[in-house]
Amino acid sequence: MVNKSLFPILTLLAVVLLVAACAGLQSSYTPPVKHPSAADLEEVPKVCTNCHDARGENVAYGRYVHTADFGTSHRPAATQGEAICAMCHQTSFCNDCHATRVELKPSLKNQTKTYRSAPHRGDYLSRHRIDGRVDPTSCFRCHGNPKSAESCAKCHG
Amino acid sequence: MRIGKRYRESILALILLLGILPGYSFGTEVQIKSDTIFRLFERDTSSEDNATVLPGYEYLQVDAGELEEHGVSFHLYGWGRNDFADSDYYEDQTDGELLYGYMEYSQEGNRFNAKLGRFQTFAGVANDSVDGLYLGGALGNYFDLSLYGGQPVALDSKQGRSGDSIFGGRLAHHLGMHYEVGVSYKSIENDNKTAEEMLGFDLSMYLPADLSLYGFSSYNNETDDWAEHSYELSIPIGSIPIGSVVIKPYYQHFNYKGYFDTGVNAVSPFNWLSQTGEKLTAYGVNALWQLDDAWTLGAKAKFFSYDELDNAETYSILATWQGEGLTQYGGEIGHTSANDTADNDYTLVRLYGYCDAMAGQFWLDFVSADLLLTFYDKDIYGEDSSFFMSLGTGKRFLDDALSVTLSGDYSQDPYYDDDLRGMLTMSYTYDKE
Repeated sequence: MVNKSLFPILTLLAVVLLVAACAGLQSSYTPPVKHPSAADLEEVPKVCTNCHDARGENVAYGRYVHTADFGTSHRPAATQGEAICAMCHQTSFCNDCHATRVELKPSLKNQTKTYRSAPHRGDYLSRHRIDGRVDPTSCFRCHGNPKSAESCAKCHG
Repeated sequence: MRIGKRYRESILALILLLGILPGYSFGTEVQIKSDTIFRLFERDTSSEDNATVLPGYEYLQVDAGELEEHGVSFHLYGWGRNDFADSDYYEDQTDGELLYGYMEYSQEGNRFNAKLGRFQTFAGVANDSVDGLYLGGALGNYFDLSLYGGQPVALDSKQGRSGDSIFGGRLAHHLGMHYEVGVSYKSIENDNKTAEEMLGFDLSMYLPADLSLYGFSSYNNETDDWAEHSYELSIPIGSIPIGSVVIKPYYQHFNYKGYFDTGVNAVSPFNWLSQTGEKLTAYGVNALWQLDDAWTLGAKAKFFSYDELDNAETYSILATWQGEGLTQYGGEIGHTSANDTADNDYTLVRLYGYCDAMAGQFWLDFVSADLLLTFYDKDIYGEDSSFFMSLGTGKRFLDDALSVTLSGDYSQDPYYDDDLRGMLTMSYTYDKE
């Protein structure tokens, strides 16, 4: 077990180190805050690798291509490349699926955007009885704390 | 509303702070995005059968400050709801939520990033909403560090917020485009009692022949058990006669004791799972064949192996066609064979379309359609299938700043007979530099 009493001290020390290090060091690459908008580009590319190398000098853009399975497989890319995602998507975009606190499920809030991958489409009330028993870990990932489980509590208590 | 007085005061203080910071006054750029949604449907409530429910939602996002460049900015997103039919359908449910509201400072050159307020953090084992402080940045060319601390929003409805805390961080080491490895830590206390203490490890390796390996493991420090191992290999196969193929085999292992045991934080329907002694191993493969700029074909297979239960598997195939703009048509058919694990098997068929190429030809700008059919091997409440269909259309105004969308859906399934619902959405974007 990690001694919890040490954590405030370690955290403070880490903060001081971080600030000091950031003040004096230059990193190899800082992504832009925002990607150029469609209006700024002469031709709107369909995927990242139309313009960027799949393994660029600084970023492996290939892992950010929104393939047909990206909706269910983007976890490692988003975890390690939050700044890359943020160039095009604000947190509110992620909240549609991940926050589970927006009341309307993503396929309902964006009902006409049928091209977007969205969990729980259609009659998921019936399907979740089976999916939940096959792999409850995937439910827990988004509904595993007291706030995000409020939508489960109506029936499950 | 659950937006507390203390939090409103904090937000106000942040706005004032932004205003007085020299050189970073509001007005650099302001973006406001508003989604106003009205829905109409019928439900049985505690006081009335087939009660009309007419909720109106407002999802509001405000971003201000240095939005195009590094600097100081402010971000806010939240929603509220009112039932104009005054039914009992939403009793005991929150009628609004502040999802985030924070001041941010970012610096070019060292990736320094600071957030103060309510924010969402993704840092290894963390995917949490926090009221507090986030600091992140590069430690030279080879290391990144991120730290956060404050109160967890997830626990604000559980016995108040006194004694609640969350803190943690992630340290990553990367070497160019060769690899990145990260270690992360998260601790959550609820009423001064440890709710969660997790350690994490994540990995990206860019191998020869364009192979890539991604992985994540987490360890529950409270129960002294591994919680999860998830690893995926990406194998691009470029040299085929038509298009390109990417194959992604993966492996996952979950120990229910470590994964679901979150102490006093545990919630139904998951809290009992940690006591089952179950361990789940899942492995499978996703394959995507990109024929050209328009066509993609795909196949997925996933197998579930349990220590206690019988095995299960899912298979599906998909096809999509992508046209100009957002135009896309597609379909997917899948089968889940759950054997004795879930006491049921089902087959799911989905067909969908979105036509974005109508501008200039019709008064409307786009139409959408979605159809889902599910067939259950064993009846659920006397029904062996579900039918769901949605249709929508919309038009954009004011140089696309305003979009008005009308949609409806119909469902016939084990829970609802002839369930018809309507929806009107008005989305407005304001952007001023």
